[in-house]
Amino acid sequence: MSSEPNAYSSHPPRLRDATILDKVVANGGVMSIALFFIVCCLFFAVTTDAFLTAPNLLNIIRQSAPLLIVAAAMTFVITTGGIDLSVGSVLALTATLSAAALQAGVPWPLAILLMLALGGVVGLVQGYFIAYERIPAFIVTLAGLSVIRGFALLITGGYSIPIEPTSPFVTIGRAWVLGIPAPALIAIVVLIVAYIAFNETHFGRYVTGVGANAEATRRAGVNTRRIILWVYILSGTASAAAGVILSARLGSGSSNAGQGFELDVIAAVVLGGTSLFGGRGSLVGTILGALTVAVLANGLILSHLSPFFTPIVTGFIILVAIWLNFRLFKDGARGR
Amino acid sequence: MTDTDVSRVRMTGISKRYGALQSLDNASLNLMPGEVLGLVGDNGAGKSTISKVLSGAVIPDAGTIEIDGRPVSFTSPAEARAARIEMVYQDLALCDTIDVAGNLFLGREPKRRIAGVPMLDKKTMHERARDMLSNLGIVIPDTRMKVENLSGGQRQSIAIGRAASFNPSVLIMDEPTAALAVAEVEAVLELIRTVSKRGVSVILITHRLQDLFLVCDRIQVMYEGRNVAERRIEDTNIEDVVNLIVGRKFTARSAGHNHQERGAPA
Ligand SMILES: Nc1ncnc2c1ncn2[C@@H]1O[C@H](COP(=O)(O)OP(=O)(O)O)[C@@H](O)[C@H]1O
Ligand SMILES: [Mg+2]
Repeated sequence: MSSEPNAYSSHPPRLRDATILDKVVANGGVMSIALFFIVCCLFFAVTTDAFLTAPNLLNIIRQSAPLLIVAAAMTFVITTGGIDLSVGSVLALTATLSAAALQAGVPWPLAILLMLALGGVVGLVQGYFIAYERIPAFIVTLAGLSVIRGFALLITGGYSIPIEPTSPFVTIGRAWVLGIPAPALIAIVVLIVAYIAFNETHFGRYVTGVGANAEATRRAGVNTRRIILWVYILSGTASAAAGVILSARLGSGSSNAGQGFELDVIAAVVLGGTSLFGGRGSLVGTILGALTVAVLANGLILSHLSPFFTPIVTGFIILVAIWLNFRLFKDGARGR
Repeated sequence: MTDTDVSRVRMTGISKRYGALQSLDNASLNLMPGEVLGLVGDNGAGKSTISKVLSGAVIPDAGTIEIDGRPVSFTSPAEARAARIEMVYQDLALCDTIDVAGNLFLGREPKRRIAGVPMLDKKTMHERARDMLSNLGIVIPDTRMKVENLSGGQRQSIAIGRAASFNPSVLIMDEPTAALAVAEVEAVLELIRTVSKRGVSVILITHRLQDLFLVCDRIQVMYEGRNVAERRIEDTNIEDVVNLIVGRKFTARSAGHNHQERGAPA
């Protein structure tokens, strides 16, 4: 009885609560991955001598650049409610082709541009089938995973193609600028651009809109198919950039590069709190997720465990992350 | 002036068939400027279909539409919007994970340029969203709240507010109060009154007959794709409307007086 006469006055406080809850849910994923990242770092700092040394930390950053770059693009893909399983294969194809192009005498800047364009075209083709032919992204990119790696194997015959160590191309993977490895610098630039695009531009807003309610976004006059097409072009191009950086760092292009890379990328994005249902993404979360995946791989090796433990641990972490992701976001997806 | 005599909307002879089902059969609809028309009928009577024809979402097989006396034929919702016809869709209108201002401006977000690059102008967007909502008397504490955290009534208000912000001359609402708690219905009805006072013609589809008597000027009853009756609100009552909807004399327990004859099929 006492609450009835003044039903309206009870609204504002209830909504304030909702706002706080909103923030926790919105940032809950980011907060828990930040915590998990710190716990992992502390664990390896205590249990191994080598982890918390400057050379090792810089090494982690250098090695995680391809992961960070592709995970940034994958955040857009997953936020639309899609997935791109072909990223590891595109990485392998562009790594081998950049080595082959350099061997054939193509100038290195042109080789890089060609690889980025190739990645974009692969994304365009896959995106076309997903956006315009309405074939599930999982199917299209699973086929892409197989086909594209097949091309890489076919081109190299399964061998790796060496890159001349004197070529300026390798500086992309090996140079140090202001005490920071060049791949890390590239990753930082990509992440900043991705963060701004995701949070501050119309494109980023429509990526979220497509994932949250594609029909409402379409009715609002947004060309939702083109948005979907573009996120796959982005992930293809990002994978190509990762392939270039990897081959430059290793000094060779191997068709076996990036096996299981898609799992690391998806783990990074999902760990970072981006919802697999779409509509909710966080680039800060993705950065933390990618660094966590990188730290785990590095720390497990330093712990002198068998290197074969890494996929087992990564697999379990993906499972737990996806389980939490579903539990956290299932209710949110209901409204679609 | 002649203005007041010309219908805002005149739909005549509208037919639409889905496979074997004649969803609309020579249906018509007339709407005056600033009028609130209640569209009622049993489930499947064709209310949603005729309103979708008007909003450009469904293309009729036959029939003519006139807006302010000029014949039109819409092939897409965009064309209807250009003719200042807006429809509030019940479920499909909002993006849950986007905030209130973002939903109000979805697809037409204000821009600002930083170093030549177009970006969302969130500050302007929130300011204008606050103005829009307060002009319509919609109470939302913070335009940065995500829509998923709003009540059903607030969500419906945002959807109507969004439609109203396109400055429509016709606003169609398909069961805007169906999913609302009783206390929230009044706010939506008040919003309909506010909008219609500004000269917007409103088509309200609802099963809540008591709402009709609070906001409508006129009621049109549909039955199996046809118009069966039309009543000015002051000439009818709930029992009469119920009878017209079910298509027979409904001997309600409370019926204590004579019923009017059912209107002849149009
Ligand atoms: N897209 C469609 N495809 C097939 N049948 C439809 C479609 N839309 C509506 N109908 C049918 O047309 C009839 C009228 O539907 P509708 O206009 O939604 O009725 P109301 O809104 O009055 O309940 C219903 O029998 C419905 O099943
Ligand atoms: Mg209906």
